[in-house]
Amino acid sequence: TPESMDGGSKLERLFAHPLYNIQTPVLMPEERLLEAEQLIKYYKKKVSRWERHMKTYSKALNWSNVTVAAHEVTYDPDASWVKFYLGINRYALYSREDPTILQLLKDLQSMTVVNADYTQDEKALKGACDCSQVVKPSGHHLKLALKMRNLAKVMYKPMRQQRDDETPEDVFYFVDFQRHNAEIASFHLDRILDFRRVPPVAGRQLNITGEVLHVTHNEDLRSVFFTSPANNTCFFAKCLYMCKTEYAVCGSPNHLEGSMSAYLPSLSMAPRVSIPNPWTRSYTFTGRQEWEDNPFYCDTVKQQPPYNSGNRLLNIIDMSIFDFLTGNMDRHHYEIFSNFGDEGFLLHLDNARGFGKHSHDEMSILAPLTQCCIIKRSTLLRLQLLAQSAFSLSDVMRESLQSDPLHPILTEPHISALDRRLHKVLSAVQQCVRRLGEDEVITNDFIKPTVNP
Amino acid sequence: MSIRMILFRKFRLLILMVFLVACTMHIMIDLLPKLEKRGAESADGGCQCAQHPGSDAQGWGKQRTRSGAEAEAGWPNKHTLRILQDFSNEPSSNLSSHSLEKMTGAGDRVEQLRRSGPSEDHKPLIGHQSRARIISTRGGSRLSALYEHPLYKVDLPVLTDDDTLFNVNTDISFYTKATGNQDWHNEDEEEFSPTADIPAESYPHWLRFHIGINRYELYSRHSPVLDALLKDLVNQRITSVAMKSGGTQLKLIMTFQNNGQALFKPMKQTREQETPPDFFYFSDFERHNAEIAAFHLDRILDFRRVPPVAGRLVNMTKEIRDVTRDKKLWRTFFISPANNVCFYGECSYYCSTEHALCGKPDQIEGSLAAFLPDLTLAKRKTWRNPWRRSYHKRKKAEWEVDPDYCDEVKQTPPYDRGSRLLDIMDMTIFDFLMGNMDRHHYETFEKFGNNTFIIHLDNGRGFGKHSHDELSILVPLNQCCRVRKSTFLRLQLLAKEEYQLSVLMEESLLRDRLSPVLIQPHLQAMDRRLRLVLQVLSGCIDKEGYVNVVEEDVVRDSATHRGPRHR
Repeated sequence: TPESMDGGSKLERLFAHPLYNIQTPVLMPEERLLEAEQLIKYYKKKVSRWERHMKTYSKALNWSNVTVAAHEVTYDPDASWVKFYLGINRYALYSREDPTILQLLKDLQSMTVVNADYTQDEKALKGACDCSQVVKPSGHHLKLALKMRNLAKVMYKPMRQQRDDETPEDVFYFVDFQRHNAEIASFHLDRILDFRRVPPVAGRQLNITGEVLHVTHNEDLRSVFFTSPANNTCFFAKCLYMCKTEYAVCGSPNHLEGSMSAYLPSLSMAPRVSIPNPWTRSYTFTGRQEWEDNPFYCDTVKQQPPYNSGNRLLNIIDMSIFDFLTGNMDRHHYEIFSNFGDEGFLLHLDNARGFGKHSHDEMSILAPLTQCCIIKRSTLLRLQLLAQSAFSLSDVMRESLQSDPLHPILTEPHISALDRRLHKVLSAVQQCVRRLGEDEVITNDFIKPTVNP
Repeated sequence: MSIRMILFRKFRLLILMVFLVACTMHIMIDLLPKLEKRGAESADGGCQCAQHPGSDAQGWGKQRTRSGAEAEAGWPNKHTLRILQDFSNEPSSNLSSHSLEKMTGAGDRVEQLRRSGPSEDHKPLIGHQSRARIISTRGGSRLSALYEHPLYKVDLPVLTDDDTLFNVNTDISFYTKATGNQDWHNEDEEEFSPTADIPAESYPHWLRFHIGINRYELYSRHSPVLDALLKDLVNQRITSVAMKSGGTQLKLIMTFQNNGQALFKPMKQTREQETPPDFFYFSDFERHNAEIAAFHLDRILDFRRVPPVAGRLVNMTKEIRDVTRDKKLWRTFFISPANNVCFYGECSYYCSTEHALCGKPDQIEGSLAAFLPDLTLAKRKTWRNPWRRSYHKRKKAEWEVDPDYCDEVKQTPPYDRGSRLLDIMDMTIFDFLMGNMDRHHYETFEKFGNNTFIIHLDNGRGFGKHSHDELSILVPLNQCCRVRKSTFLRLQLLAKEEYQLSVLMEESLLRDRLSPVLIQPHLQAMDRRLRLVLQVLSGCIDKEGYVNVVEEDVVRDSATHRGPRHR
């Protein structure tokens, strides 16, 4: 590999760098999202409910001729997802050196699927389907909730586009495809940026007949499966198919790659709030938002709670840098855990609309940074580090993505676009510093700056 | 033949007479431009038509593409429609004795031309367009060589009033009385020889196309109207646009300055794109280039059952958005992030933002198919194709499971007599060459009853896959093992190297504004498919014997041959 040629893995060296090894404060119990006891109780309840359900379900099945593969579930208090949940704290979704994340990624890639169903937001629509809607609610998009043998819950988004397909120039951000590889790449990028705000995602070749059709107990889901003229198994998102906006996705003949994202703890255990992004877009063909026309928009935002104190605005700027690097224009809301209050980190969920165009840098995504002209020192130092050739962002991303079974996840043009965009972020910061001075722009966060290597 | 020539000379005299009368009227109108109701009155005057080119704003306007301002003054479409309707509802009017003027009608004139052959000594009678084509014959075009082949010179039976869709003669006089607006003039840049300057010449081409429709064909082989109509489709100013209701995918009805209408199908796919293998035939996109290519293919096969189609670059702002009164359509226009004009319309298939049609920045390609006569004037009958597919993801159609299906069909009217089954076979071959699996219905003109050709409408789902030959389209041929001799001979001809189908298609398609209409792999696929058709036929002949497979129909000029089939 090219990494070994210049002396070992760049990714390893990056994570070994002092900037990535700053000690975080010892966590107080209230700084963790979940208590172990509570989670174990929840898990046990789930297992017994599943067993009860399977009993009644298999009885009901005796009268029908549907083939359903019955899978045993296991109760495993050391399961990777349990550890992942317990590790969530007020600073990040997981800690840097946590081995459970690697285990969780492995489980996502290989563990037996015991059940498949529609996601909650699709079910919430209750089949309502308004074909005239220009912006379809997120529930309309094709994604499935899968249960693994150890009752880990996973969101599966199937492949919709080839790796080298780009979003056509005439397509608006709100009608763009959801890309499974963008979900995977976003997780790796977020980890390399040391944000750790994206739940673990792994790629997987799913057998949609064996691992979806034959394990679902949902009659509706079963009814959207069919065999194509080329003898492939296909299924579709009911509403989008009915509106003839999307065709089905098809395996070849059964295998279909997709992204497997670990679910976050259920809302009953760890409630979250969804907050509109102050730099949201209009989601119409012609409308413009205030921030698109008013260069002083940030001044108004800065005066409004919760952006007038603490880290919230800085977190928004982290998020905008993350989205700019991926080219994701579809960040209308962000979520935080209610438990951590306004000081909690922002979750970077739903990144499937990133990595659509490698030849275009959408500068408007950076508006929060260019308008507010502030950035966390820790973020800036890491960005500067990743701009150095010894740790270049494209190289570490390439290396990191190689660990995924579906690699190559991103085509070369997408990977090299990351470097180009990183430089644009840094020059945006530079311009701010030139205009306002370093003290105004660079905010010291909880990490003490260390010596630059 | 000699009797014909004598008749012919008589017509020439008559044509001259009519020309004189036309000029007279023209001048009269010049003098009394508003005198619409008294136009039928005769007036004296020398023939000065040539000196008044385009001076009359009340013109029938087919050659008015250059001067758009006159459009509003063009004669009202409603009139002819009403006229045609009037006598189509009055069958007795068709029984009127055959006046000599009748032969000046477009259809019959063309008939004459065909008999005399395009390159013989009757050039003055031929419109300039067809003359241009003949000249290119001499330039060694393979297509012209094809049309020179004896197989492409078989005559139609003599047409009676029952065999034409409209009675031209009655139509003209009726028109004269109803509108009093006789403007038979030709613009002088159109280099007609005086003898060619007959009343029908000044009809808009679309009307002449309608009048030319007969029991056996939509248009004749060497129709001078056809090329002019194709030009109109490309050049005429678009005066209004409406969405076509019904149908699954977005189609627009475009009305031209000369009141002609055409069906517009916008470009949805690039030339190189193929239908994804997992798409069913009923979810495939409709392709504008398939519509264009189907017309050319049909013509090369000498079926002449597809209405004329031409490709055109349309300005979405000026020629669609600004001239539509359809709010539903208008509402779906938007400007894309790349600053292109886009719209998506309203329909049941692929009419959503995700499938918006975008220009560059506002030019969009599309196919324009000439309208057939209004249904109120010429009713059409819609027939269910016996080999219709199930249009269901899991179900199969009867013909897919029953190998003896054709025996059943052969016993069911209208397939039990006449040539209908052979027409289906022609259509099957046509669809197989294009790969069109979406032939669920076909139409005929009601006036002609069951003894008539079938119209090959809606070919947008052909030419979707060049790397795949959908053999199931050939099932009717496989199961019935019947074919017209004329079709069979032409297919054999087109399989020969000097008349190679792909080369002819390529040449024919070069004439379209949107050339190249088909990419090479599609053209080559047609040669491959043609060989497959011939294989199936030779298999049939081996199995059932030549006489049982190939229906003798070539000796057409013995008018009695088709006679018995008439009711």
